[in-house]
Amino acid sequence: MALSLTVNGDRLASTADPATPLVDILREELHLTGAKPVCREGFCGACMVLIDGKPTPSCLTPAALADGCEIQTVEGLATHGQLNRIQAALDASDAVQCGMCFPGMVVSLTHLLTTRPDATREDIRAALTGNICRCTGYERIIDATLLALATK
Amino acid sequence: MITGSSVQSTPAEAHNAASSIYVAPSLASALDALSECGAAGAVFAGGTWIMRSPIRHEPLRARYVAIGRIAELGAVRIGTDVVEIGAAVTHAALAAALADLPEFDVLAAAAGRSANPAIRAMATIGGNLATPGFAAADCVPALLCLEAEIEVAGRDGRERMKLEHFLKIRSTLAPDRLVTQVVVPRSERKTAHARLPLRKAGDYPVAIVSLSVSVDAAGQVQAARIAVGSVEPVARRWERLETALIGRSLDAEEAARTAAELADEFVGRDGIDAPAWYRVSVLPGLVRRAAATALGA
Ligand SMILES: Cc1cc2nc3c(=O)[nH]c(=O)nc-3n(C[C@H](O)[C@H](O)[C@H](O)COP(=O)(O)OP(=O)(O)OC[C@H]3O[C@@H](n4cnc5c(N)ncnc54)[C@H](O)[C@@H]3O)c2cc1C
Ligand code: FES
Ligand code: FES
Repeated sequence: MALSLTVNGDRLASTADPATPLVDILREELHLTGAKPVCREGFCGACMVLIDGKPTPSCLTPAALADGCEIQTVEGLATHGQLNRIQAALDASDAVQCGMCFPGMVVSLTHLLTTRPDATREDIRAALTGNICRCTGYERIIDATLLALATK
Repeated sequence: MITGSSVQSTPAEAHNAASSIYVAPSLASALDALSECGAAGAVFAGGTWIMRSPIRHEPLRARYVAIGRIAELGAVRIGTDVVEIGAAVTHAALAAALADLPEFDVLAAAAGRSANPAIRAMATIGGNLATPGFAAADCVPALLCLEAEIEVAGRDGRERMKLEHFLKIRSTLAPDRLVTQVVVPRSERKTAHARLPLRKAGDYPVAIVSLSVSVDAAGQVQAARIAVGSVEPVARRWERLETALIGRSLDAEEAARTAAELADEFVGRDGIDAPAWYRVSVLPGLVRRAAATALGA
């Protein structure tokens, strides 16, 4: 039976096996390669997407449970070609190094910006527990998030 | 654009056979489906353990029955004598529901600080208790020290058992039965959950001490329940330490000294995160932390 997924606003059908991790459908079928299967364990956050608005590791989400849900990947976060607040702040703060973790970082932080407008440094750290960055040491990412929070 | 042959980067075991997932709308339909599947089927709750089967080189089951959308299993009911927690309640929802009940600090901390935020929004209390291979489960010792009971249901009815008993039978639980709820008695008590992950957050705990004490007007411990998780393959109560604390006033340093004298009863498990001896050696420190947190509460 075909699964019906709404990805970045587009309704799409997939015939994938129901237990296929969503990240594989996104990348291999839909060619949305922002979400990355790095650990496939829920530890690293590189595969994070928004499912019905909630940051969710797409490596642990079987296709069957994404059926009928609104999925947003990093590719869908910039509207009309305009970077969203956290994307713009990360760019302005020169926070990106190799970039491996960034699609997931942007997804988690986009959610933080909309749900925790008064987040502190500590709150940002806690929100990023499941997003591992091997390059930056996090400080610039946190600075950029505080900048984005201050930019209304 | 990057293209590739279908799901190339997935470990082979993940796709060696198609699994079906039935999303059950009600408990009755879930029980019917499980009964129909027999040994080929299993409950799918948060999926945070099941979806990692390929990494553990375990095959997926042929059929899963997803219980996350069953309203009855997703509620926390706070009564005057007991709190009933539906099996599909997530760690995040549980921590939020218990935030204003200090007698449940131990469970709120176990649920609210395990893993990372996105996982806490997926992983369920039922899955935490029903996974025999997961020694580092946080809610198991927390619920042991709260003397929780587990309700298990099948098409033929429901039964209640102590968590200790459930832990003994869980690996042989018939495939047509599932955990429906966790029932925790309410009482005046001081509780705390002390866990030691290798990094401040995100990792599995190397060892866990969950503590619940009732103290009389003179400050003396009347009842103590202490459970240790992640040190041995299955969490359990530390009864010798409990007995040693009764009738004395609770003092974090003294509790840690007593714990150091009694810790040799644990045989730690070796793991990639920590060797057996290390898990045992951190127990007195965790007892100290748990007692200090409970006293501060
Ligand atoms: C990166 C990462 C880190 C984590 N760290 C921690 C941690 O430090 N501490 C912690 O406590 N947890 C942690 N977890 C969460 C842990 O995986 C879950 O708490 C739990 O073990 C599985 O819950 P689940 O709902 O995802 O179960 P699932 O994966 O859906 O199921 C697990 C098993 O339980 C069975 N099952 C599930 N529900 C029921 C039920 N109601 N009745 C009968 N059987 C059932 C399933 O059939 C399966 O065998 C972590 C998870 C990840 C991904
Ligand atoms: S690949 Fe999903 S969390 Fe690491
Ligand atoms: S920038 Fe390289 S992993 Fe984060």
